[in-house]
This record gives sequence, structure tokens and C-alpha cells, in this order.
Amino acid sequence: MTAQLTLNELAALMKSAAGLTVDPKDLANRADMSFAEFGLDSLGLLGIVGELENRHGRPMPTDAERCKTPRDFLDLVNTNNDRANADKATVPTTGA
Amino acid sequence: MRSPKERRSVVTGIGVIAPNGVSTESFWKATVEGVSVLDRVTRDGCEHLPLKVAGEVRGFDPAELIEERYLVQTDRFTHFAMAAANLALDDARLGRADYADSPFAVGVVTAAGSGGGEFGQRELQRLWGQGSRYVGPYQSIAWFYAASTGQISIRGGFKGPCGVVASDEAGGLDALAHACRTIRRGTDAVVVGAAEAPLAPYSVVCQLGYEDLSSLDDPVRAYRPFTRDACGFVPAEGGAMLVVEEAAAAESRGATPRAVLLGHAATFTGASRWEESRAGLAHAIRGALSDARCAPEEIDVVFADALGVPSADRAEALALADALGRHADRVPVTAPKTGTGRAYCGAPVLDLAAAVLAMENGVVPPTPNVVDVCHDLDVVTGRARPAELRTALVLSRGLMGSNAAMVLRQGPTPPS
Repeated sequence: MTAQLTLNELAALMKSAAGLTVDPKDLANRADMSFAEFGLDSLGLLGIVGELENRHGRPMPTDAERCKTPRDFLDLVNTNNDRANADKATVPTTGA
Repeated sequence: MRSPKERRSVVTGIGVIAPNGVSTESFWKATVEGVSVLDRVTRDGCEHLPLKVAGEVRGFDPAELIEERYLVQTDRFTHFAMAAANLALDDARLGRADYADSPFAVGVVTAAGSGGGEFGQRELQRLWGQGSRYVGPYQSIAWFYAASTGQISIRGGFKGPCGVVASDEAGGLDALAHACRTIRRGTDAVVVGAAEAPLAPYSVVCQLGYEDLSSLDDPVRAYRPFTRDACGFVPAEGGAMLVVEEAAAAESRGATPRAVLLGHAATFTGASRWEESRAGLAHAIRGALSDARCAPEEIDVVFADALGVPSADRAEALALADALGRHADRVPVTAPKTGTGRAYCGAPVLDLAAAVLAMENGVVPPTPNVVDVCHDLDVVTGRARPAELRTALVLSRGLMGSNAAMVLRQGPTPPS
């Protein structure tokens, strides 16, 4: 089972990858505000995507680094996690 | 708007991060006292390399001066530049309120000789050690020559013309000249200068091929230009940023014009061809004087390039004689960088900052560690020399063959 990415973890990643100090509560309250308004630029989000990919050993969805808000990002990443877990549960019988 | 010819560039702010001081005040105090801070290289990973003496910036804590979000995406050379820019903006009292309504009126120009070697080394080691997925995205911008210009512009909200001079040492003066041209074209203010961070393992190894690099391990003897003991130059880190403004714009906001940048010229005579640099440097001096509409006799002090290589020192002494005539025997010549080392593009900007301070304080700072000058120059050694200084000439040559000269004059109203 792959853990879901939480707001706490996203806040920690914003700190380690982009040097931003963001209160997770603030991130929760303003989850629809743009990353730019939190001070996170596109390279910073790319760094967070790279870190998550390295941690989990598999690629994030192709548009992950294009997400504009924390909510969009969590929705996309966690939906991807659900799919990955579902894929693991049902072993495909063909290579397709 | 005034016609381009009438738009003069004045220095209204100075910010210094140098081996002999991480503020303009401490830099000037050490400079005028002739303190040498050249010392054994102590930077991690550099101790065993054949470069033994350098001018390290010690006691500089970037976290105290720059927000973490900028620190994670920038190299040490940009930390120096951003910190120096802050000091210069504070000194000029140029704050966001001054340009909130006209962000396009303020530009940024820096010069850089090598970019962000330390940051680049760390990321490339991750590439070899862990793989491409472990290289951070900020590698794409942090190593880059233009990084300091970009980050200063972003952080300050300066949306005016921005540029970077990627060059050898002389690029520091060429950046200042570029700022003057930017102002002539209509920009009110330019944050301009250079800072370098060449004292990290990869960066030091890159310099080991320079035949002009001093390999002596005695900090007192390693860098002695204009003497029979000259044995090459000592590198340094750090630099200076200035706020340069159009004279009327500075006046209208009540800023003090500390000096006027009057003239500049640059020539190119080829890498390590020091004999040829005589003609190139002389031509640059004549060009700068002509641009400044200044006679040779008006030059009250020369801040020399002072490479510390016998053929280069001779060429510089002869270039001064060629361009200034008999006045070359009389004018005081100084090279305070013998006490700090040469911070590549940062070096001539530090010299220009020292020239402004020298004119304000009526004193020529000395040339540390230099005794028994063997050229026909009045090199100020030992201790600072009081003098009435109205006009200064700053010279710079680069290892890749650039020569540049800049003439500056005391501001119309010296600070009390």
C-alpha cells in the first residue's frame, strides 16, 4: 500500500526542495490558491515531483509539475497512487 | 526625457562583500589601513590542491542576509551578489516605494567570469553518484553566468533592462559601462557590479591551468606586483555591487551622487599576451579619457590592474606612460587588491568602489605587501597617502585578453 501524500508532507517538501516555510494549516485553508502565491515557482514544483518519484521509485503523472494549486497537486498525485495500488492488486496477464 | 548626451550616470550606493570586509565600511577601513588578509586556503576540499594562498571571504553567513527560498536555488557567487546589492540599495536609500509605480525604470547588470562552480559540482556529483533523477532542477539556473542578475532582478522587482557580461576580469568595468549606456537610453537606475566565488574544489582545479596563478604558500610573498619578486596573482572571492542612477533622477529623489562615471573604453589583445596588452591598455586609457573629455593631467590617482606577472606589470607601467605622458611619473598609483587577491570580475568593481571612497576621504589607500617597486611609477606603498582627489582612473585586464579603463570624478556635493 502506497501512502497518500498529505498536506504536512507537501509543506515539508516545499521547505526542503524550495526553501519555503509554509504552515500546513495555511496550505489546507488556502488549498485552491496558486503555488505561485505561496512562493513556489515551476522549478520548485518540478523538484518536489522529482523527490516524490525518487522516494516511490516510479514516475508521477505527466502533468504533475503543471498543477497550479496544492489541491490540484494532491488530487492528481493521490489518484495516481490509488491507480498504482489497484494495478498491483490485479496482476496483468499480458504485457499490454 | 533628457537627450542621451545629457543623461549622466552617478554612483549613489555602494555594497561590498570582500575578503577584507563584509560591508562597505569594514572594507574601506581595512583598505585604507593597508591590511592584507591573504591567507592559506582553508575551504573544504581545496586544502590539498597546489593553490595555497587566496583571499577567502570569511564570516559571511548568507542565511542571515538572504531568504531561504533564494538560497536553495543559488550558488555562493549569487549569495555574494545579492548581499552586496542589498547593501548598495540600502546605501542609496532606493527602496520599493521609489519604483513601485515605475518598475521598468530600474535595471540590473552583472559581470561573471565563471558562474556557480560550487553548486554545479554538487549537482554533478549527484549525477555520477546517484543518477540523473537526483540532479535538482535549480542546477539549470544556479551555475549560470546570468544567475546573479536574474535573482537580484526577481527579488527586487526590477523590471528594467537586465544584462550580464560573461567575460574575464575586465568585464567588471565593462558591466559598469553597460549600465551607463542603459541609463543614456532612458533607464533611471541600474543595480550593477560583479561578485565571484572561485574558491571551491572544481573551480580551483579549473584555475590551476593559469600559468599566471601564484603557487607560493607564503601569504606575504604570494602576490607582489610591480616588484622584482612578482610571481603571479592570488585569486579571491567576493565583489561589489553599486547603484548607478541618472543624475537628475537621483537628484529628484534626494539621493547623494557620490561619484560620476565619466568615461570608459575596452580593447582586446589576446590571452596571456602581456606585452601586447601595453598597446591595448594604453588605447583603452586614451579612449576612456576621450569619452570623459578629460586630460591626462586631470587624473589624480590610478587604481592599477597589477597582475603580478613581470611582463604584465611592465606592460601596464609602459601603457600608463604611453597614455598619460609625463604625468605617469607623478600620479599616485595604487593596487589595494594586493591585500585581498583578485576576485576576477569582482576585482575592478571593488577597485572602483575604493576609488569613490578614496575621493570622498581624500586619501590614496596603499598597496599591501608591495615594497621596492621596480617600475617608473609612484606606487603608494606602506601607508595611505592623503591627497586631494577629484578624478580617478581604474584599470583592469583579464587573463583571456580583455583590457578596460574607466574614469570617474568626485560627486558634485561630497558627503559631510
